[in-house]
Amino acid sequence: MSYKIALAGNPNCGKTTLFNELTGSRQHVGNWPGVTVDKKEGGYRKNKEISILDLPGTYSLSPYSAEERIAREYLVKERPDVVIDIVDGTSMERNLYLTLQIAELGIPMVIAMNMMDEVESRGDRIDCEKLASLLGVPVVPIVARSNKGTQTLMEEVLKVAQSGQVPRELDIYEGELYAAIRENRLTEEQEEQVADLRYTYIGELVKQTVKKKQAVHAETKSDKIDKILTNRFLALPIFVVIMYLMFACTFSENFLFIPELPSPGVWLAGVVESLWGGLAEGVIGLVEGAGASGWIVELVTSCLDGIGAVFGFLPLVLVLFLLLSFLEDSGYMARVAFVMDRIFRHFGLSGRSFIPMLMGFGCSVPALMASRTLESDKDRKITMMITPFMSCGAKLPIYAMFAATLFAENNQTMIVFAIYMLGIVVAVIGALLLNKFAFQEGASNFIMELPQYRIPTLKSVLIHAWEKVRGFAVKAGTVIFASTVLIWFLSSFNFTGMCDMEESFLASIGNAIRWIFVPLGFGDWRASVGVVTGWIAKENIVSTFGQLFGGVSDEVIEAVSAGEQALPAITEVFTKVSAWSYMAFNLLCMPCFAAVGAIRREMGSWKWTLRAVGFQMATAYVVALLINIIGNLIF
Amino acid sequence: MALAMMKIGETRVLQDFHGREETRRHLQDMGFIKGEKVQVVGENLSGLILVVKGVRVALNRGLAAQIMVA
Repeated sequence: MSYKIALAGNPNCGKTTLFNELTGSRQHVGNWPGVTVDKKEGGYRKNKEISILDLPGTYSLSPYSAEERIAREYLVKERPDVVIDIVDGTSMERNLYLTLQIAELGIPMVIAMNMMDEVESRGDRIDCEKLASLLGVPVVPIVARSNKGTQTLMEEVLKVAQSGQVPRELDIYEGELYAAIRENRLTEEQEEQVADLRYTYIGELVKQTVKKKQAVHAETKSDKIDKILTNRFLALPIFVVIMYLMFACTFSENFLFIPELPSPGVWLAGVVESLWGGLAEGVIGLVEGAGASGWIVELVTSCLDGIGAVFGFLPLVLVLFLLLSFLEDSGYMARVAFVMDRIFRHFGLSGRSFIPMLMGFGCSVPALMASRTLESDKDRKITMMITPFMSCGAKLPIYAMFAATLFAENNQTMIVFAIYMLGIVVAVIGALLLNKFAFQEGASNFIMELPQYRIPTLKSVLIHAWEKVRGFAVKAGTVIFASTVLIWFLSSFNFTGMCDMEESFLASIGNAIRWIFVPLGFGDWRASVGVVTGWIAKENIVSTFGQLFGGVSDEVIEAVSAGEQALPAITEVFTKVSAWSYMAFNLLCMPCFAAVGAIRREMGSWKWTLRAVGFQMATAYVVALLINIIGNLIF
Repeated sequence: MALAMMKIGETRVLQDFHGREETRRHLQDMGFIKGEKVQVVGENLSGLILVVKGVRVALNRGLAAQIMVA
């Protein structure tokens, strides 16, 4: 028999963690409410006949935001064979509210009492059997994080699926109220009455099944950490320091201010670059040795230059991603959103908008999807328009390339940190302007549950890392590879056949658009082409530069493996000021097509997508122009 | 009095809400109902951190001003 099983529960109660354990998939998990914004399906690891569906977290079935609506509609309309209701054992009183609502739908259900390890460590006790007999549904204690109890859980689920046993009907509503619930036509007043009755009943359930060691809320470790991390005065400085440390771990040549000590990211990048240098030389030697004709050797060399330029920076991106996922899993994200609320309110947004923005440091596509959790339409639109200003992982190689080439004697961490900060500042000013001139609406309220701080599991961190490496490999093998071949072709030919790069198709194209960028300080055809290839994937800018400024000369290989100037030829075209202007322009202009697609899906209209892209282009142009003008006045 | 006026460590009982209906409903779904105990455990420039039904919830100050406690 094939069954449809749905996972439902409050936000951040461990649904996706359980989903990953049951299906063996690697869906994104994080320790903040609202990670899952869409339903996801997978087959049970031990029996593929059983399909399991992960629903976004909801506090109730009365829909409040988009992802709550998804969960509700699925349960009510699709009617899964069994619902696994995941209850966070550490906050049963709140979690059981949703449980009762699901039970009222009359769908067969099993309760998974999650986080039992934390319940025990607090010295509390939950009588699952008693609760099961009171509600008339099986209750299975589990720890999803360490895969405890999930086997038993699935056995119970199968039993319920076969028997079709539905939860006992609650006899807490009377007469008129009962009828109103059945027909789904509650008045506001009745709704409040119903909520009250449910909570009263839950209070009764909890009294009978939970033995708390301490009756009142005792100060937990999380409370103590919060006293520092969300402190009135310390919160913002701490956040800035954490961000700086993140970048220092990724880029610093003098890690922790110890001279000559490379950070983990830089060290790994050096290793990968010298490996790649050796590999590239070998491959080219092989191709030459096989007697391939001149153009094939050139094509291979050019592609290797291109992909290699990106590949060398992968370790930096990987380290940044690992640190970001650590932040996400620790529980700090929700706090940052809260701390930022005060600042964002000045710009017409709530602190919630900061979560998509912070995720934007990784990749804009999931970040744009995360904007779905925002309640007001205005918040969603503005957040989507400014989230691409947060420098994504793919843009990082661009700065790393310039930092290593033009700013070799400066503090490179500071250079990269500054460009990230520029992104945040522009985003905030952009939000202010959009709010003032395009939307004119007050900020929505900030309500967010603050999860327990947890030490991220190695598994979860490794899943993030692996997903990143795999995603990169796919990108390098498809989009970037295809682009490098195209760039090679366009830069090696014109209508008369093979030619010098300066006379190629690509040079003609670049020269045709280069005047646009003259005021910004980089009116060079190769730089202009870089901007365009960046829209396909931002890493392409680096691979294009690798092809157009590179050429695997022995000097370059030597320099690269020594971790020095990646592309010395860049200095012929760029000054420090125009490099800044170029970095800023590529940071702020239209994101890659994948991200534009995400904007289109989330905005649900082409009109708004074009507005967003237009806004980003205009912002990029103005900021780069200002940098070029002011920079040249000063230097 | 308004919840926004409460001091850290103080515990009071929720009374009333003067705000938009959908916000009231959302608060209700998160355990904010009449007669429920609410404790303030933290406070900063953004707003307050409360404990309601054993769960920590952060609210902005403007919203906390719309919630009445006794």
